[in-house]
Amino acid sequence: MQNSDLVRKESTFGIVNHWALAISCIVLTISGFGFLFHLEGIGNAFGGFPAMKGIHNWAGVVFTASLVLSMFNWLKEALTFDSDDLGWILTAGGYLSHKAKVPPMHKLNTGQKFFYLTLLVSGFAIIATGFVIWLMPENKPALVWSHFIHNVSFIIISAFLPIHIYLSTLGNPGTIPIMITGKIPYGWAKKKHSKWIKELEEGRSH
Amino acid sequence: MARASLLISPELCIGCRACQIACKSWNQLPGDKTANRGTFENPADLTPDLYNKIRFIEVPSEANPVRWLFVSQRCMHCDDAGCMKICPAPGALYKTKEGAVAFNKDKCIGCKLCAAACPFNVPRYDKNDKVSKCNLCADRIANNMAPACAKTCPTGAISYGDRDAIITKSQKAGYSKLYGQADLGGLGALYAFHDAPKLYGLDEKPVIPEMVVFWHQYLKPLSWIGIGGTAALMLLHYVAIGPKKDKEGNDDAK
Repeated sequence: MQNSDLVRKESTFGIVNHWALAISCIVLTISGFGFLFHLEGIGNAFGGFPAMKGIHNWAGVVFTASLVLSMFNWLKEALTFDSDDLGWILTAGGYLSHKAKVPPMHKLNTGQKFFYLTLLVSGFAIIATGFVIWLMPENKPALVWSHFIHNVSFIIISAFLPIHIYLSTLGNPGTIPIMITGKIPYGWAKKKHSKWIKELEEGRSH
Repeated sequence: MARASLLISPELCIGCRACQIACKSWNQLPGDKTANRGTFENPADLTPDLYNKIRFIEVPSEANPVRWLFVSQRCMHCDDAGCMKICPAPGALYKTKEGAVAFNKDKCIGCKLCAAACPFNVPRYDKNDKVSKCNLCADRIANNMAPACAKTCPTGAISYGDRDAIITKSQKAGYSKLYGQADLGGLGALYAFHDAPKLYGLDEKPVIPEMVVFWHQYLKPLSWIGIGGTAALMLLHYVAIGPKKDKEGNDDAK
């Protein structure tokens, strides 16, 4: 296999799943900031605050469905850890030094696993509390607590967004096409996901 | 303009409820259909169409077997208003120059967070899910007229005026401290009575739910710091260390 040959890394289901999650998450974050800080410009862009509430709620439904489905795509992988993950953490994934020797990785590297698990946990917290705020506003203690947890999860998720966006664009040039086509160049995969490629090739030779 | 306020003196109230009617009349609020509960107090609680209600309280004792108290229940127009702290829609709740907490139904998104954050259980929602409560007759006071309730009250149990002047005058009249004088930054509805607030159905120490305060004061700024901080770190990484290059990690590929 040539280094420039493409290997399938994500299924069509995975690609659609990722972008539904990404777009709903960005819409929710932007409108969320609009609500929190009374940003009139954002409110107007959504057609006023009452309209933005409807969009926020329904984007939340898309986000919920996407996050639930994402577990079929990435949860098993994200929960698999071994000693190489410790090595990845100790070398900071090679992000702090271009000379660092990063241990071989499977389909997801350690950072991606932690990113996914954080999104999953805070995501379900923000979803559950979001539905309480939307559907049970008459229950005042539940509303106040949900509002609080919703916002704390919001801080976590929104702080993680720039990291993910940077590492998948500027920080690792050429990453975006992988999430659009689902295919990764063989040479790249062999470098960055050698354990996965090895497994794939062994599977094939059987 | 200096802050204005209502002075409610339940000891002067005769329970005629002219204020309830005047409020409905000025604010064009329809009557609520209610049932006889064996009391003159009616309706039982504030509704989306009832901004001001006289609460009837019977306090029989041996010394006075027929003691009957009447007190106006309504939005207190807090200086530090929980409803405004939590409201996600700018302009849905706003302060008038007199210090009244007024509302704009067109801007309300119907989330009901204000009702949950109010220390006095005041905001109600109408059939269109829009906030509804006493706004101190914002349109009247903007034109130097007293709110409808104060204008109508035949005994002076509800009056309206400069807040500082009300406090000074009440102190001279023997009320060393008015209810609401210092609570929540000072209420825009002050109460003059000698008994304990509890007797009038008022909280001794009204507070905004602590989670609302905690979020608003300490955690809310973190949402900018969080996303801005990580974005800045990523930029720093790009400049100082630089992105991954194609040649890197060739060792892995052995």
